Amino acid sequence: MSGISRRKFLKSTVVAGGSAAAAMSSTKSFAMKEFEGYPESMGVLVDLTRCIGCRTCEAACNKEHGLPEPELPFDDFSVFDQVFHEGKQKRRTTEKAYTVVNRYETKAQGAPVYRKLQCFHCSEPACLTSCFVNAYTKTKEGAVIYNADVCVGCRMCMVACPFSMPAYTYDSALHPQIIKCNFCYDNRLTKGKPPACVEACPQEALTFGHRKTLVKTAHERIRSNPDKYVDHVYGETEVGGTSWMYLSSVPFDQAGFNTTLQHHPILDNTKSFLGIVPMVLGIWPALFMGFHLLAKGGKGDKESKDKVEVHGE
Amino acid sequence: MQIRKIRIMTGIILALFFISAPAFGVDDAPPTSVRIDSLSHLYEGVDFDHELHVGIEENCSVCHHHRFSSEVAADRCAACHSECGGTFSPTCSDCHVAEPFTGKHIRQMEEDPHRFHVDITGLKGAYHLKCLNCHIETGAPTECVDCHERTDAGNRFYRSGKYAPTGGKSGGSHE
Repeated sequence: MSGISRRKFLKSTVVAGGSAAAAMSSTKSFAMKEFEGYPESMGVLVDLTRCIGCRTCEAACNKEHGLPEPELPFDDFSVFDQVFHEGKQKRRTTEKAYTVVNRYETKAQGAPVYRKLQCFHCSEPACLTSCFVNAYTKTKEGAVIYNADVCVGCRMCMVACPFSMPAYTYDSALHPQIIKCNFCYDNRLTKGKPPACVEACPQEALTFGHRKTLVKTAHERIRSNPDKYVDHVYGETEVGGTSWMYLSSVPFDQAGFNTTLQHHPILDNTKSFLGIVPMVLGIWPALFMGFHLLAKGGKGDKESKDKVEVHGE
Repeated sequence: MQIRKIRIMTGIILALFFISAPAFGVDDAPPTSVRIDSLSHLYEGVDFDHELHVGIEENCSVCHHHRFSSEVAADRCAACHSECGGTFSPTCSDCHVAEPFTGKHIRQMEEDPHRFHVDITGLKGAYHLKCLNCHIETGAPTECVDCHERTDAGNRFYRSGKYAPTGGKSGGSHE
C-alpha cells in the first residue's frame, strides 16, 4: 500500500469515530427510553369468574355512545352461537359495537366462561405506534383515543393491534373512520366517572380504579382464592401492559385469549432497528470517506491522472 | 300527684324504649319480606321473601356476613373476627355503597394504609354475587326476571320486547 500520510489517516479515523460516537449516543438515549405508563392511568379489572354473559355491558355501551340499533336484542343469547370464518372466529367488535361478550365452552368445568372484549387500552399501544399521522393518543387517564380528523384511512392500526380490536366503517364512502372503545373518555373518564359498561354490570365483573392498584387487587384476589383463579393476570405484562386486565378460572387460551403475545411493547420490535438509522447516516459517510482516503494513498490528483493516461492507451 | 306524674313518665319512657328496641340492637324476629328497590331503574324492585330464606339457611352470617351474633360464616373471617359480637344493623348498604367507582370511594379504598377490606363490591354487585352464587349452587331461579320484572326503561335499554330491532339492512362487517 502506498503510504497514506499519518495526518490523513488520523483525520479520517477521528472523523469516522467521532461521528459514530455522536450518532450512537443520540441513538441510545432515544431508543433505550422506557415508558412505564402514566402513573395516574386508570384501568379495569375484568373478573371472568363473575361474568354471567348477560350482555348488559353491551347494552350500556350502545346507549352511552348512541350506537346504531343492534341486529338482535341485547338479551338474546343466541348471539353466543354465532361463528365466522368457518367456525374459527367468534363475534368481534364492529363499527356498531365497541364491545362484545363471547361464550367459551371449556374442557374442565361444566359451566361456560364468558368474556367481554373491547380495546385493551395498552400502555404502549401498537395502533399508536403504527400510525404515521398521530391519530391516536394515549391519554394520562389511561384511555387510548382516536382522532378521525387526521386519520388517512390506511388501516395499519388494524393490522398492528395484537387483539384485532379496531373496526372500520367500510360502508362510508366519504368519511370512513376507525371505530373502537374509547374508555368513555369524553363523557366519563375526564369527569371522574367510571365507563358505562362498568357501571352497568350487575355482577361487578368489571372493577374500575387506578391501574397500579388493580394489579395489586388482582393478585390479592388470586392469593385469597387459590382454587378459584389461574395464577396470572392477563394484561399485566402482555404487549407491555394493558389498562384492561383479566382474571380467569380457566387457562386463558381456553377463554379465547392469545397467550403467545410478547411481554414487551410491540414498539420494541422496531425501536432498536429504527434507532440505528441516525448512526448509519453518521458512520457510513465517514467510514467510506476513510476508505477512500486510504485507497487514494494520499498522493494527490496528479499521480492518479498519470495512471489513467497510461491505462487509457 | 307527684307520684302519679313519676309513674306516667316512667310508663312513657319504658314504652318508648320498647318501641325503639330494634334501634338498640335488641333482637327482633327477622322480617318476613324485605323490599329491595334502592337501585331499581331497569328492573322493578325485589320483594324478597326473607322468611323463606331464613327457613333454608339458619345461619344469618351466610348472607349477613357482617353480623356475628350467629356463627361466623367463613373461616377466613373468623381468623380476625371470631370474638366480635353482633352489629347493630344487618343492612348491606352500610358497607356496600351504591356507587363504588366514584373518585371519592376509590380514593377511600386506596389511600388508607390501615384499611384491610379494600376490595369491597358495590351494592348492586354485592346483591347479585351473594344471591346468584348460592342460587347457582342450589339450583334456585337464576334468570333476571325470576327475581325482578323488567321496567319499560329496561326494555328500551336492552332493545327487547316491543323495542326489539325490526330487522332490515344491518350493515355489520360480517354481512
